[in-house]
Amino acid sequence: MKGPTPEPRPEPVTTGRDPAGPEPPDGDRTGARKVRLRGVSRPPTRASRLLANRWAGLAGLLVALLAPFVNATPYALSVMTSAAIFVMLAAGLNIVVGYCGLLDLGYAAFFAVGAYTGGVLSTRFDLPLLATVPAVLVVTVVAGVVVGAPTLRLRSDYLAIVTLGFGEIIRITANNLDVTGGPSGVYGIPPLAGDPVAFYYLTVAVVSLAVLGAARLGRSRLGRAWRFVREDEDAAEAMGVHTYRVKLAAYIAGAVWGGLAGVLFAAHLSAISPASFTFLQSALVLMAVVLGGMGSVPGVVVGAVVISLLPEVLRDLADHRFLLFGILLIAVMLLRPQGLWPARSKEALK
Amino acid sequence: MTQLVWNGLFVGSFYALVALGYSMVYGIIKLLNFAHGDLYMLGAFTGFAVLGAVGGVSSSMALPVLLAVLLATMAVTGLAGVVLERVAYRPLRGAPRLSLLITAVGASFALEYGMRAAAGADPRVYPVRLGGTPLEVLGARLTLQQLVLVAVAVALMAGLNLLVTRTREGRAMRAIALDPRTSALMGVDVNAVISRTFFLGSALAGAAGVMAGAYYGKIDFLMGFLIGLKAFTAAVIGGIGNVPGTMLGGLLLGLLESFGTFWLGGQWRDVFAFGVLILFLTVRPTGLLGERVTERV
Amino acid sequence: MRATPLKPLAALAVLALLLAGCGQGLLGGGDDAATGDGPIVLGMLVPQSGGEAAIGPYMSNAAQLAIDEINAKGGVLGRKLELKTADDACDPQTASAAASKLVTEGVHVSVGGYCSGATLPTLPIFGKADIPMIIPAANSQELVDQKLKHVFLINGTGSQQAAAAQKWIAKQGAKSVALMHDNTSYSKDIAVRAQQLLGDQAVIVEAVTPEESDYSANITNVLAKKPDFVYWTGYFQEGGLIARQLRQAGYEGAVMVADGAVSPKLAEIAGNEAAEGVYATMTQTPETLQGAENWIAAYKKKYNADPGPYSNQSYDAVRLAAEAITKAGGTDGAKVVAALEAVDGFPMFSGPLKFTPEHTLANGGFQILVVKDGAFTLQDSLQ
Repeated sequence: MKGPTPEPRPEPVTTGRDPAGPEPPDGDRTGARKVRLRGVSRPPTRASRLLANRWAGLAGLLVALLAPFVNATPYALSVMTSAAIFVMLAAGLNIVVGYCGLLDLGYAAFFAVGAYTGGVLSTRFDLPLLATVPAVLVVTVVAGVVVGAPTLRLRSDYLAIVTLGFGEIIRITANNLDVTGGPSGVYGIPPLAGDPVAFYYLTVAVVSLAVLGAARLGRSRLGRAWRFVREDEDAAEAMGVHTYRVKLAAYIAGAVWGGLAGVLFAAHLSAISPASFTFLQSALVLMAVVLGGMGSVPGVVVGAVVISLLPEVLRDLADHRFLLFGILLIAVMLLRPQGLWPARSKEALK
Repeated sequence: MTQLVWNGLFVGSFYALVALGYSMVYGIIKLLNFAHGDLYMLGAFTGFAVLGAVGGVSSSMALPVLLAVLLATMAVTGLAGVVLERVAYRPLRGAPRLSLLITAVGASFALEYGMRAAAGADPRVYPVRLGGTPLEVLGARLTLQQLVLVAVAVALMAGLNLLVTRTREGRAMRAIALDPRTSALMGVDVNAVISRTFFLGSALAGAAGVMAGAYYGKIDFLMGFLIGLKAFTAAVIGGIGNVPGTMLGGLLLGLLESFGTFWLGGQWRDVFAFGVLILFLTVRPTGLLGERVTERV
Repeated sequence: MRATPLKPLAALAVLALLLAGCGQGLLGGGDDAATGDGPIVLGMLVPQSGGEAAIGPYMSNAAQLAIDEINAKGGVLGRKLELKTADDACDPQTASAAASKLVTEGVHVSVGGYCSGATLPTLPIFGKADIPMIIPAANSQELVDQKLKHVFLINGTGSQQAAAAQKWIAKQGAKSVALMHDNTSYSKDIAVRAQQLLGDQAVIVEAVTPEESDYSANITNVLAKKPDFVYWTGYFQEGGLIARQLRQAGYEGAVMVADGAVSPKLAEIAGNEAAEGVYATMTQTPETLQGAENWIAAYKKKYNADPGPYSNQSYDAVRLAAEAITKAGGTDGAKVVAALEAVDGFPMFSGPLKFTPEHTLANGGFQILVVKDGAFTLQDSLQ
């Protein structure tokens, strides 16, 4: 459970100031460089050096951008778009679980809030989906505060059940209310781009920015405070980190990421219903985060891609695909207990 | 009113039985065993298979036969729990706690869809049904069979509580829950005790599965999912890791659901139950009987 | 910072590439729709995993049966029919991917769709690809509310079923009716429409959570209103439990279930005693049709199992698709849609077919069944 920058020892966070807002990333430059030097003392393996190559990232983006030139069937586009949206969800949850160490079992709630806000507003008032984004931002921030404020004082496992409860409450409420379309949900949501290829590129762009933003946030002062809270909440408190506000900030950031992913989701499917926001969905996002390696941005992206594509890859097995999916999950974790692409850190995980 | 209470207690005793396994496992190795609900499902299907193998059962013999089947099933699901722990959880003991969550979800999928491959997606119907004529007690309708089921559940839970509080084995379990490393230094065979904990917890879930199968009649490969969630909730309400607390939590959740349905209608029941849970936890953050623990010091 | 966070997108792309083979890229410009004399492909989305997984085989088996029969007679326009099924898991996202998959595989007509919520997002996907949809089971009003040209429902709609229910309730002289649904769109739709038709007669509308075992709390609620008629509009799994638990709770009035609960399993789950006399609103089924014994026998012979819910509609969907393609003289989407709109009197299980301007059945063909000795038999054809 570790952010991308290895910090052998949590650095004291400036006291007095409220770290609840994202810092300009520049402020962290020197720190990052210093840390990098320190990191050299631990010789990286050949594999990790390869993985750590900045060019690999750009190459990755390039491949994502070129993929439609190789295969642009509706199926491939649909699956790739879904996977990209799922990456964004995982990047958001990673802020909460990976950076800040808060176990959230109801993350789909924020996803639902975003999707429903966008969907309901655009269909009721005939707005383009893009115009609903400000409202989505406001609503998801409020949702983050509403869920986070009363619960963040709880111990981790109790927090887990409370978030699970909120997830279910949101889903059931959406199912029961008329404004959300009841069990059938909202349909006929306008697309964000007319053409699936254009929408795929739009999604890749938004998701890339989101992933990049999450990584930046993780390296900011606030990000360090999150990791401090994760590693030792009492020590963080003693060092002057306002842990409650810091945790709430993580929650709100996670909610915004999830909500925006929800808008993409609504645009992608054109119809949303409570069935998309079940506990299983929350569990799958969490699995993506853990499978990839908590706190590790590249890991989480890989985890999300694996979790969302694996059932599709296994689709031809029909009846047996979830059986195999389960077995593969166990096998992967047994082989790589820290995740597929763990954040490199000496710090012990809880 | 008494009917509502009785409905709640009856459902709650199932929740409590399943929740106990959750709670014990959590108490000892801090693992949210998501596959636990599926052991309940496995129990229901094992009982179904055993009953099918026994052949026709006359309804007068139903209860004794069911009790025998119950014990056989408990042995099977208990062993399944031990195997599960050995294969999917033990190798990860030193890994991040949430990695175990993944293997638990993986195991849950594997059990569900493995059962689906073995028994099909169609629901199965138990060959023995506990129907019985209802009695009126204080204005509530209940059947003798319901009473027997609740009695069995209570007996199992009481036995477990005795085991945990009064025996050497129980002391070893509690010691590991507090500090596995020191327990190992003090001569406790940690792996063996954890295995036995899984056996007990899984056996209880299996028992609940058979009882549910025999009483409600319908079993299917996904039946464990929802009750697994409920059991988790119940365990947390009661104070996870705490045996009497978990029992209370199960009963309380059953009552909450019963009264929630009555006051707000079925569609808002879970909102009510979870809402109360959240309010309750913000007031009492460690559950009903959970102890205040200072973390990570 | 050593790692740019974007790089793992590589994995996404690589996997995606592996996923779908090659030669179908943007620059390929390939219109990969199979034309000419290849087989005519019918696509079918059904749940094969998740909570409704039990339904999938009933539908796809029956569709395959129809296809085999048609192929045995020489196929359509000299071409063979072929069925491609995909799992929608009753989940909108899975359904959307599955629909795209079918489109990619060059499906000509879609003959699937069971869960309304999962079928809704597939409408624009098939629509964009100019693929007509004959939806055999999903029947929520929202499916036709958008007035899409390519969408046809051949299952009776919720309002038709609710009307049939109301007719029978009036015929029985019931005074206070309790409606129970499972909070899915199909089920709630029927319950709410029935409530509107019944007015004051409907004393309570109670929602239950599907996939549970104990409904005693809901039943206590229902019985507190002292109904003399209970109408369950969900599926058979819960329906069986509810029928049983109603009797255990001392309810003596009539019980009726909607078409989703019509299955031999209902009586099995409820137990014969509790199931006896349970009514059902149902479109015509093989069991209630004269001359359908052969069909059941053929199904049994092929699959060694009884046909189940929506087997006959799925069978009809395939036959109807074949008919429309024949009339249209090819698989061109617009022509097939026109042929479907022009269909008049095509014999189906639910009676002679003619679509309304809304693309639903003019006559839902609902009748009342009753459980006798553990099996649903015809009680009243409501004609």
